[in-house]
Amino acid sequence: MKARWKQLAAVCAVAFVAWSANATAQVLKINLDMDPPHVDPILYQENISSRVLRDIYESFTWSDETGANHPALAKSWEPLTGGRTGFRFFLRDNAVFHTGRKFTAKDVKFTLEYMLNPASKAGNADLLQTIVGAQAVKAGTAKDLEGVKIVNDLTIDVEFTELNPSFPIATIQFVDSEFVKEHGAEWFNKGSAGTGPFKFSRWQRGSRVELLAHDAYWGGKPKVSGVTYLIIPSPETVLAQYDANELHVADLQESMFGQVFTDARYKNQLMSGMRASLYWMGMNPEAYAPFKDKRVREAVSLAIDRDAIIKGLFKGAATSFDGVVPPGLNGYTNELPKLAYDPARAKKLLAEAGYPDGKGMPPVTITGWPVIKDLVTYYAAQLNAVLGMPVTPNIIERTTWIKSANAGELPFFPSRWTAAYMDPVQFLDLMWHSKSRFNRAKWKNAEFDSLIERARVTSDNTARMALFKQAETMVLADWAGFSLPVPVTAGLVKPNVKGIKSSPSGYLEIRGATIQ
Amino acid sequence: MAAVRSDMTGFVFWRLVGFAPVLIVALVLTFLAIRALPGDPVVVMLGDRSSDPELSSLLRRQYGLDQPLGVQFLRYVTGVVQGDFGLSYRYAGTPVTEIIADGLLISPVLAAAALALALPVGAIAGSFAAVRRNSAADVGVVLMLVLGLSVPNFAIATILVFLLSVKLGLLPVAGWGSLSQAVLPVVVLALPTAAYIARLSRTFMLEVLQQDYIRTARAKGLSERIVIYRHAFRNTMVPVVTSAGITLGALLSNAFVVETIFNIPGLGRLAIDSIFARDYPVAMAIVILFTFLFVLINFMVDLAYILIDPRIRASVVARGGRA
Repeated sequence: MKARWKQLAAVCAVAFVAWSANATAQVLKINLDMDPPHVDPILYQENISSRVLRDIYESFTWSDETGANHPALAKSWEPLTGGRTGFRFFLRDNAVFHTGRKFTAKDVKFTLEYMLNPASKAGNADLLQTIVGAQAVKAGTAKDLEGVKIVNDLTIDVEFTELNPSFPIATIQFVDSEFVKEHGAEWFNKGSAGTGPFKFSRWQRGSRVELLAHDAYWGGKPKVSGVTYLIIPSPETVLAQYDANELHVADLQESMFGQVFTDARYKNQLMSGMRASLYWMGMNPEAYAPFKDKRVREAVSLAIDRDAIIKGLFKGAATSFDGVVPPGLNGYTNELPKLAYDPARAKKLLAEAGYPDGKGMPPVTITGWPVIKDLVTYYAAQLNAVLGMPVTPNIIERTTWIKSANAGELPFFPSRWTAAYMDPVQFLDLMWHSKSRFNRAKWKNAEFDSLIERARVTSDNTARMALFKQAETMVLADWAGFSLPVPVTAGLVKPNVKGIKSSPSGYLEIRGATIQ
Repeated sequence: MAAVRSDMTGFVFWRLVGFAPVLIVALVLTFLAIRALPGDPVVVMLGDRSSDPELSSLLRRQYGLDQPLGVQFLRYVTGVVQGDFGLSYRYAGTPVTEIIADGLLISPVLAAAALALALPVGAIAGSFAAVRRNSAADVGVVLMLVLGLSVPNFAIATILVFLLSVKLGLLPVAGWGSLSQAVLPVVVLALPTAAYIARLSRTFMLEVLQQDYIRTARAKGLSERIVIYRHAFRNTMVPVVTSAGITLGALLSNAFVVETIFNIPGLGRLAIDSIFARDYPVAMAIVILFTFLFVLINFMVDLAYILIDPRIRASVVARGGRA
């Protein structure tokens, strides 16, 4: 009897070892800085949730590691005819939801209506405001979104009151309408209703989020059986777990760049790439009078040594560009005048503006948040040293900073802006149009506004990009703001893992990963 | 005897009544302190693009943050009394009780496991040192003691992780879920307590060894082993075990640090994360829970003293139960 139990136990043990080896060998393990606040693709978007959701849910298009947009759930689209403003989308015929249902036009219409319902708290609903009938759905007076018409299962028309040319490439994560209707408000915790390469499987709060491969993915079955995000808030622990082979990929926080980029051990495992993100200097003339003079704004830029920042503070893990539309975006150009470091000319300009050696300038604080305190300290010290400008660094808690900056209360501040999707509208319209909620420097220029308003309704891409280019030149010529070095996106990848790419989105692309 | 028992009931009753003000003060202080921190939970939720006025005001309304502080407090207290701690700000739409339930047992389990390890190790090491007073072994133990008490646990953790996990690959660096992941956190948590218990045991043992009954035992011709184990060690353990109860409170708060170091999803790490994310309801609930737990531990220790020591019991009885 005893022997039989032993045998059984041995068989079980062998089976378990075989099973666990088989089940765990192919799961990609990567770190996540903290728990996602939610796994709802419709709710307001924020970085950590987006990191997890971007491989589960899909939009009309996706952007690759160069920032170029490609068809995803829409195979193609064309302008509407018959005097209507908008697009006709031809949907992919081989997209299948994780639930096993086929993706159709019905799901597109449902998702758009669902986003407009205020109860869904959709973070990207502002993209939909100009769809015909959007206001009625928002107000709850209509259920049917009038401007969205299903032509057949795979064709759908979206009509606008005012054209939104970037609509096809915007992030709108389409969900399985049947699944949502069936499971009610908390549907996203009960299953996976996307079409992406991975499906949501399990979230153990404080510990891990598990995704499984979607075998029926239209782009081909993923080459790993799943992805496990281990939630690790401490960057030092991330590195230790990577060293101990508990992670295949370490997604690095900027604070670790100094250590990782200078350690020879990591040389062949380090992956980095440019990020479509803008770090720029905000100078608000309404809050600090000397900034009304363009020469003062230019002098500030000339007094900053970008190469020294990249080498000293970022250990080389940063890049610099001259415009306000970052590389990796349609509309980026590298043919702009160089942003130089020229202390002599900076001093001369400041003197011409009436402040020789900074004399006569009222004191001003340059305000940042804790993570960038070294940079803020550098800017203050450098401007004191080169220009004699009475700048004091001031570090405040991040959310207070965001509020004050968006309210236009900060006189002088380095700022960061990342694209929600790969289009220059994100960097020009949102940041500099005088009516934008995000015009943090309170720069106003009527001519610029009218260029942007024209670009908003121009559907021809070449003409649209030309307008954006003209608008960008105006921002630069007036020194409304200028760009500062941007840290790269960086990660460590074990040698046996292939197919991980860094992308301008700032996320490591993991969908093509293989483990050998 | 009946009078003693009813006075014990009186003691328990008055002690429990005494909890209320402690809990209320903790509630009010936490409520005010957490709101005095700079930062806005709605902006934390929405991030960089938080100036969407419709979304912000919708969230503010939903979480009652548009109400005056007094109203918010009353609403909160009313909820808590009914066992409703509200919704988490950070984990959209999730009840606080659900979030806390996930990690509820982790800190107490860690603390209990550490105590279970520290008690025998500390008692044996301390007594051993006392028996061989001034020998090389004693000096060695005392040295370890000083190290255990003075080197902070995050330093010990870093050294152990580097040696055992990164260099030798014997144990996982961090995480929670398997037995191997629990080894390092429990050891790190147990070390200072073991050192404390060893110091106590050494002192008590030295004292016991001077006692008349030990001399009597030796005079009776008992073997040294029996003298030490049966007479001295047992008597040493009575005060040591009582003191161990007090260290449980310290272990619980140290568990916060250890959870953060080893990335364990217990309430300690959750409390810290919640404060940074301005997740008021979760942070408040954890503070209240731990206040309650600490008060309870103190109460148990008091009770244990009364039950063990007849002199204290007599004085409680004399004061009609009001300790």
